Order: sequence, then structure tokens, then C-alpha cells
Amino acid sequence: MRDAVKNMVGNVTYLLANLRETGRRLWHNSLAEYLLHAHTSKDLAVYMKYWVLNYTTIVGFLVECAITLGPARFVRTLIRSPWILTLLKVNALSRRFLKGRTGRYNEAICMTMHTIVAGTVWLLREMFFDPERLVVNEDLVPPDIAHAMGLRCYLLEAMGIVLPMLDPEICLEYIDEAENEGINPDSCSLPKATIGMVLKGHLPGGKAVVSSNLPCDAGAASYTYFQRAFGVPIYRLDVPYHFHTERAVDLFVEDVKGMIAFLEEHTPGRMDWDRFRQMCENRNRMLELERELWDMLRVRPSPLASEAVWMSHLWHFNVTPEFRGSTEHFERLVTLARKNLEENLPATVNERYRAVCWNPPFLHFPDIFNWAERTYGLTILNDSMSYNHLEPIDTATPESMLRGWSRIVMHGPMVRHTRGPAENYLDDIFRMVRQFDLDMVWVANHVGCKSGQAMNGILREKCREKGIPLLILDYDLSDPRIVSHDNMMRQVEHFMDNVMKAPRLDG
Amino acid sequence: MRLFEELLESPQNALVEQASRDGRIPIGYSCSFVPEALLMADRLFPVRLRAPGVAGTEIADNYMSALTCSYTRSLLEFAVDNRYDLIRGWVFVPSCAHTQRLVDNLEYLTKPAFSHVIDVPRKVNDVTTAWLADELEILAQRLSDHFEVDMGTASLEEAIDCWNTFSGVVLSLGALRKRPRPPLTGADFHRVVMACLASPTDLILPAVLSLYRRIEHEEGTADCRARLMLVGAHLHDPAFLAAIESQGALVVADRFCTGSIPGLLPVEPDGDPIRRLAAHTFRKTLCPRMMEDFDRRLKTILDTVEEFRVDGVVIEIIKFCDLWGVDAMPLVAALRKNGVPVLKLEREYAAGGEGQLRTRVQAFIESLGR
Repeated sequence: MRDAVKNMVGNVTYLLANLRETGRRLWHNSLAEYLLHAHTSKDLAVYMKYWVLNYTTIVGFLVECAITLGPARFVRTLIRSPWILTLLKVNALSRRFLKGRTGRYNEAICMTMHTIVAGTVWLLREMFFDPERLVVNEDLVPPDIAHAMGLRCYLLEAMGIVLPMLDPEICLEYIDEAENEGINPDSCSLPKATIGMVLKGHLPGGKAVVSSNLPCDAGAASYTYFQRAFGVPIYRLDVPYHFHTERAVDLFVEDVKGMIAFLEEHTPGRMDWDRFRQMCENRNRMLELERELWDMLRVRPSPLASEAVWMSHLWHFNVTPEFRGSTEHFERLVTLARKNLEENLPATVNERYRAVCWNPPFLHFPDIFNWAERTYGLTILNDSMSYNHLEPIDTATPESMLRGWSRIVMHGPMVRHTRGPAENYLDDIFRMVRQFDLDMVWVANHVGCKSGQAMNGILREKCREKGIPLLILDYDLSDPRIVSHDNMMRQVEHFMDNVMKAPRLDG
Repeated sequence: MRLFEELLESPQNALVEQASRDGRIPIGYSCSFVPEALLMADRLFPVRLRAPGVAGTEIADNYMSALTCSYTRSLLEFAVDNRYDLIRGWVFVPSCAHTQRLVDNLEYLTKPAFSHVIDVPRKVNDVTTAWLADELEILAQRLSDHFEVDMGTASLEEAIDCWNTFSGVVLSLGALRKRPRPPLTGADFHRVVMACLASPTDLILPAVLSLYRRIEHEEGTADCRARLMLVGAHLHDPAFLAAIESQGALVVADRFCTGSIPGLLPVEPDGDPIRRLAAHTFRKTLCPRMMEDFDRRLKTILDTVEEFRVDGVVIEIIKFCDLWGVDAMPLVAALRKNGVPVLKLEREYAAGGEGQLRTRVQAFIESLGR
């Protein structure tokens, strides 16, 4: 009792002592502050339109959920998955992304955020509305085939990726839960957070699980636990190490066929090749549009950049490739970029430096790109999770579709780069430098990513040889306790001041 | 035992030097997924890569970061330091992220004349076994072309016979530990196994045979407080086992990468030698990299616990090893569910922190009621 009172007094004292700082932060992230500082009334109108659309979509889902599941199951779902309410913070994240941005750049980011909200709600429907047809996929196994089979599917790690963007500290309780249960604390925080969510019963299990040997040892190994926790059958795809050869594609296609047979055996789903063809064609169209967008980004200064590019790819290619809004989103992005290009309007008038973010973007601090853009005129044009040189899927026959789809998995984000040989990693970086006319490379040096860590030495020397400035920015993917936001900004400042000799735009 | 100890003092021991002088070709390998028998054909012989007495890994840390497995960093440090100057070829398996990047860094920094990665699948079925057989065929062809050695069927059969003879002797030695009073300690047995893995088999076999004949009818002198089984990945230094045994325990079973269970199984007879070696590779390894193997790993441990009358299992994990680090979570739970007491230890590749290790082991033995 005495301790409780002592704690309470301590907390109140802390709150009072930090009142000014807390108030400043709240104001800085508030809608009122944004409204006051919006560049133009059009920017404001665009933001408000998407503000309404985002909330309407989420609240609409909650209402739909209450009707579909019934009040009791709805409440139970909210109790079991309390993170759902975190989605309501999406407009605050939008505001963090929109600071200092205007015109079509502003609109593209608003639009990107909204398509992700719509996609997330679609994903939540998959998760909660039809458990008898639900399949859980690992995040690097795209859901296309499960959907072509008429199944519901969600990516187990998806929420571990989305939630820290909305609330930087939300994964901490899950990470701690997993560590307390015995997982090695030095492993990647994404599998740790996902394990924590499953341990707490915050994610549904479905009828079957499909995983793979990707993207890393911790991610692949975590599925032994998931299988035992969910108590459902599992199929594990195995991408060969030497994945560039036709022999490897042959092996992997056989594996994918095994996965289809497995799903037909353990779920009510049946393969519908026409539906799969439609999905492949959607993917091809998205790929074509993305190429067009990237071609426009080569212009200096770039007509669009940052979240509009990397978040669009991250979400639409990996999480909801067959979502009907995905292709339309890329069409609209291309239109906005083209208009900017035609009118000679850059995304940001202060573009002084162009960079790529290599390795997973900073989930709990995604607005560091916005900060760097406002502070140094540094534009992030692309990231390693988006960068690919895929070929369109040949939709002529089921076999050709499986081969094309298999190649997508085999060359997917983090597949090319988190395994040897080193050429997979280095060649893509230097190809991007040439393709986007970059001034520097940022490596998001996630402490849990051993594969990335062990490439820094070679990369450093190769960049030095080629005269490319390299920032290796230490952080942890989902855990801001390891490296704080302030520390991350200091690392950028030191690099920009000492290596780039860049003057600050803010004085 | 002194002979085996001496053979472990340097990464390339006197027997490796002797064989090299005789025109034989040492091939370095770091992972149990490499079928040693394949590297025993003709003039080739396999040498398990070790970094005994590694004092620091400054250069390797610079390239691979200090946040990766200290075994791979130690190997890179020794390679850059030219401590493997007799090794004429390197054979790796992309068993984990650390090993994959070890290959990248080693090739970048030392540019070896012969380096090969066997693409071992992460699940076992007919298709993947056939794939692995093709991979071994590719390796055999490359070895044959590069070193001008005979990798034909007869040569491989002879190599398999050598391996089977060798593994039979070492396994017989290991089986002595099933006795209530084993004639050799876990540390001593591990010295023998490691010395064998680090030497040309034919040159060390007489010493192992002689040891076996000398002790096969002996009985251990003292009762131990607890019979333990070690489970984990790479464990090279017998000092780790000696520290555990210094607390009155006896390590009677070794289910780790460089242990005998099931690493020293013989190759099955009959059939195409390459295909048999592929199947053998999957049989003789129990690594969490294999995605569908958890139940076999668990069963092997439980069977060994029964067979060797084990009182408790010690899982030892090299710091930063994600495969064992993550897998240990369900493994510990499953073992405890089956009534097996478990101690999980994190360690570095080089022996160290002996005081802490002794305290943990002592507490564990006390928790067993011994």
C-alpha cells in the first residue's frame, strides 16, 4: 500500500514535471496543429477528405463486425484482439507523414494511407468473419493462391508490421511476452512480437498454416512454435539457396503444387485457375504501373517519393495484391506523378539529396524520412523491400502461372537480400544507385538482422571504392527501446553534418 | 588421451600436416550437413573447421559485426589470419544466415581457389533427396575437375566403407557411456570425437581403436551426481564439458552438431553412393534449420534420455544463434512436458565464463535433487 502511494506520487510528480514537454508533443501531433500549418486550403481539404474516409472505413468495419458477429462475439473479439482499436490512430500517422508536404505529394500520401486502411479492414474481415475457411500465411508467402482457392487468408506478421507504425510502443508488451517465454532476446523483434501476439491469444489460428524458410532464421524457426500453438497442420515452402537457376524454379514449383494439394486436403478450398489468372493479371498490371512510376522517379527532382512509393509497394504487392483497390491505387499514383512531371512540379521543392533505404524501413519511426526531408532536403526514393526486377507472370497455362508466381516468391522482398551470395545484396544496391541517380545509401541496420549486419563490412568497402556515401543507421525493427528516435535522428545529423557537409534547411 | 588433446591444440593438427606432406588434400568444412564420406574419396580428406584458442575476433567483427555467431566470426578471423594455410578447399552449407555470410566474407577477404556451397534443402522427401543428390554430384564433379581426384563410384564406395568403419568404432566407444559407470567422461569422449573430426580418419583410427580396446572392459571409478545430455549446435572445446563435469555431473550423451548422436551414423548400404550419401546427410543431422524435423529432434532426445539413462538435458546455444534460440522455446516446453528437466545455457564459441557455468550447472543438479 505504501509502495502504491509512493508510486502514485512519483507518477504525478513526473507528469507535472513533464507537463510542458507532453503538452508540446500532443500539440505537435494534433489535428489542430496540422490545420493551422497546412500549406494550402487544397492540402487541408484533401487531408480532411481522407480523414473522414479513414474513420468512416474503420468505424464502418466495427459496426459491420458487431452485426456480423453479434454483440457478444464482437465484444469478445475486441477483448481478444485489443490492437484493433489502435487502427484509429491512422490519421495521426498521416499527419506525421504530411508535415511540410503539399500538392500532389500530399494527396498521394493521403491516398496511400487510405488504401492501406481499406486493405487492413479487408484483412480484418478475412481474419474474423469465416474461421472455417481461414488460412494463416507467413508474411513472405503471398496470399494469392489461398484466395484463388476461395479461402480467407491473412499474413501472420502483418499486424506486427502495421501496428508499430501507428503506435511505436505497442509491440513492447508482445516482445516482452515472447522473451519471458524463452525466445532469445537477440532475435528479430518482428517474430518476437508475432510470437507474443500468439502467446497472448491476440491472433486467430485458422484451419491451416503455410510458411516458408524465409526471410530469416528466426522467422522460419518461429513457425515450429506457431504450429504447436495453433494445433493446425502446416505446409512449409522451401526456396533453394541458389534460386536463380531453372532447376531451382522446377523444384520450387513442385513445392508450390504440394502446397495446393495440402490446402485442398486440409481446408474446404479448391483451386480456381481462372480466378488465379485474374490475380496474376492484376499483379502484372501493378508491376507495369510501378515500373512506370519508377521511371518517373528517375527525374531530378522527383515528382513523387517516400511513403507514396515504399508503403504502396510494401502493402499492395505483399499483403493485398488481389485487393481490387491495389491496381487502381497504382494507376492514381502514376497519374499524379505524371501530372507533376508534366507541370515540372517536384514532390518537394527542396530536394537536395536522394537516397535509398536498404533493409526494412523503420517501423516504429517511419516519419524519420519526413523529418530528413524537412531538415536536409533528403528524399527517400525507394527501399529494398520494394525494389525488384520481376518479370510479368505468363498467364497462358496453370503451369506457366505457377512458374511466374513462384519466381515472385523466390525473388521477393528480403529473399534476394537476406541470404547469400553477397552479389544478390550488393548488385541490387548499386543498380538502384544508378537507376534512381542517388547521392547516398542508407542502411537500416536492424540489430536483430544478422544477415544484414554481416554484410556491412563488405558494403562499406564497396561504397568507399565507388565513392558512394553510406549511412549505417542502427535501430531495432519494432522496439524503440533499443535505439530511441532521438538517437536515430542524431545518427542522421552526424552523417549529414560530417560526411555530406549538408546545411540544415531549418536554420 | 594426451594424443587427442594435442590434436585439438591447433586448427590444423600434426596428422593434417602429415597427410598434406604425403600429397593428400585437406578440405575444410564447418557444418554437419556436409557428408564427410564424400570428402574422403581418393586423396581428399575432410577437416572440421575449428578455431581453438581464439582470443579475439576484431577483424571478423569489423566485417560481420559483433552481433553474429562467434563460431563463424572465429573461423573468419582465423582464415584472415592465414591459420588454415593447409586447407586446399572449402565446402559449406547455407545452414543459417551466419554461415551464409561467413562464406560471403571469407570469399571476399581471402579469395580461396576452391569454395563450394552445397544447397541442402530444409525439408526431407523424395524430391529434396534427389535434389541433394544432384548437389553432391555437382560438388563431386567440381572436386574431381579442380583437384584431379577420382570421384567415381568405386572410389566413393571405398570412402563410404572407411567412414562406416570409423563411425562404427567411435559409436562403440560412445555406447560405453550407457553403462552405469562409464569408463570415460563426457569431456574425454568429446576430445576423441573432435580429434577425429579434425584429422584424417585413417590416421587417427588406430588410436581410437586402441583406446576402445583398453577401456571396453573397464568401469568408471566414481558415482556421479547426475547423468546429463548436452543438446545444441557447434560445441568444440571439451573444456565446456569438463566444467560441467567438475560439478559432479557426467555428460553421457552428446546431441550437438559436433557430437556423435546422430552425427556419426554409418551410411546405409546398397544403391547409388551419391544417393545414399544424400539420404545419409539428412539422417545424420538434427538441426532446427530443418523445418519439418521438430518431432524427430524431440523423439531423438527423448529416446536418448531413456537409452543413456539421462537425468537432465542441458541445451547449449551459441549467442545470436536464431535457429537454436527460437527453437529452444518450444523444445524446452516439450521436454518439460515429457518430464525431462532442462537447463538452457547461452554461451560463446570460445570457452569462457566458467564460474557462471559452474554455478548454473550446480544449481541445476541441485534442482534434480542430487
